[in-house]
Amino acid sequence: MKKTVALKVNGVERSADVEARTTLLDMIREQFNLTGAKLGCDIQVCGACTLLVDGKPVSACSVLAVDVDGCEILTVEGLSKKHRLDPLQEAFMEFGALQCGYCTSGFILTAKALLDECPQPSEQQIRDYLAGNFCRCGCYQEIMQAIKNVAGIGSEE
Amino acid sequence: MRNFDYLEPTTVAEACALLKQHAGEAKVFAGGSHLTILMKQGLYEPKSLVNIKKIPELKGIQYDAKEGLTIGALVTHRELETSALVKEKFPVLCEAEREVANIRVRNMGTVGGNLASGEPLTDLSQIFISLDGKAKIIGPDGQRIIPVEELFLDFYTTSLAEDEILTQVEIPPLPARSGIEYIRFSSSSVVDKPSAGVAVCLMLETSSEAVQAARIVLGCVGATPVRARRAEGFITGKKLTLELAKEAGGIASQECSPTSDLRGSEQYKRAIVGTLVKRAAEKAYERARTLPSLGEG
Repeated sequence: MKKTVALKVNGVERSADVEARTTLLDMIREQFNLTGAKLGCDIQVCGACTLLVDGKPVSACSVLAVDVDGCEILTVEGLSKKHRLDPLQEAFMEFGALQCGYCTSGFILTAKALLDECPQPSEQQIRDYLAGNFCRCGCYQEIMQAIKNVAGIGSEE
Repeated sequence: MRNFDYLEPTTVAEACALLKQHAGEAKVFAGGSHLTILMKQGLYEPKSLVNIKKIPELKGIQYDAKEGLTIGALVTHRELETSALVKEKFPVLCEAEREVANIRVRNMGTVGGNLASGEPLTDLSQIFISLDGKAKIIGPDGQRIIPVEELFLDFYTTSLAEDEILTQVEIPPLPARSGIEYIRFSSSSVVDKPSAGVAVCLMLETSSEAVQAARIVLGCVGATPVRARRAEGFITGKKLTLELAKEAGGIASQECSPTSDLRGSEQYKRAIVGTLVKRAAEKAYERARTLPSLGEG
């Protein structure tokens, strides 16, 4: 038995027929072919599958697609505007805030949610907000530098 | 994950009726942060999920000078963390929420789900119990209000019947000359579940600095949160000193039943409990002495 889910994905009205057990991550990756968000731990710990639902970061691996009916979803593919990357994406490149890139979509979306909520966060606020995103390449310093740069915080310690 | 029917009632009565109709085969679904994991792992295979998120009366946070704080079951961890009302009346809850899991879980997970899951490695239950919180429960035959303490029976087992829904948590106003502190300790990453979490709420006598009533609640160190009643009795009637707080911690550390696991050995957790009780009692005592009118009005 399938249900039709209608939602806005990266600003575009979309719909999909899904089983009740389909996760938001599976729907986004397999039905909408937006593969920026990755499956990592599958238990809401690592942050690789982060997507923004109505502006808030969630673990898409553990959210049911039927549960976001009517919501607005932002994926990393929706960040650039008219072929211009988001400042966070630019900063991640500039500061080399990634190696393998598996966690990058989750980090950038979480940082985006933070900056939308609080445009000038303190370093501690950034650390608290991002504490649940893991980078196994260990690019944390560079990730902090990139986000602080976009937030307009000097990197002097 | 095995497939299931997804039901979306819009009233509590309708939800209870559905739960009764599908008794034994349905689960209440709110934020889903607990359930989806267990379902993916095949530990729960309900035939139906009753999503209660479309029930408006389960939302929202209210405060009334007489009744105290009311937290709807659907209030998310993040809503509790960022609520200006909660910050003013019970800042301890906001402080604790800052450390619950990660931002994604706090955005989805709900207060009601946190309690109803019976998850022992959590924070809110011990704070609610220390504040003498009550749980309001509605079933097909009406409602009942019980102390939060009585919700928890065993690991992942609560006193909620299959057709009942936890609808809200009620916390009475903090009496004058009261203070509370909650401290949790994680042995690995900051976003890990706690090894132990201790809430201490103290009320002082009106005309002296002796403790009139104490509620010391130990979490994550047993199948359910437990009150350290011997430690509570030990400090009641006394002015709290560093030595007494330390001794109370030692007593409390023997009033729980931690298991050795990846978050620490039994002995280690008992030692942590002792230290946390000492620190939380000192802080709660300090607050009770210096903030006599907190929670009034």
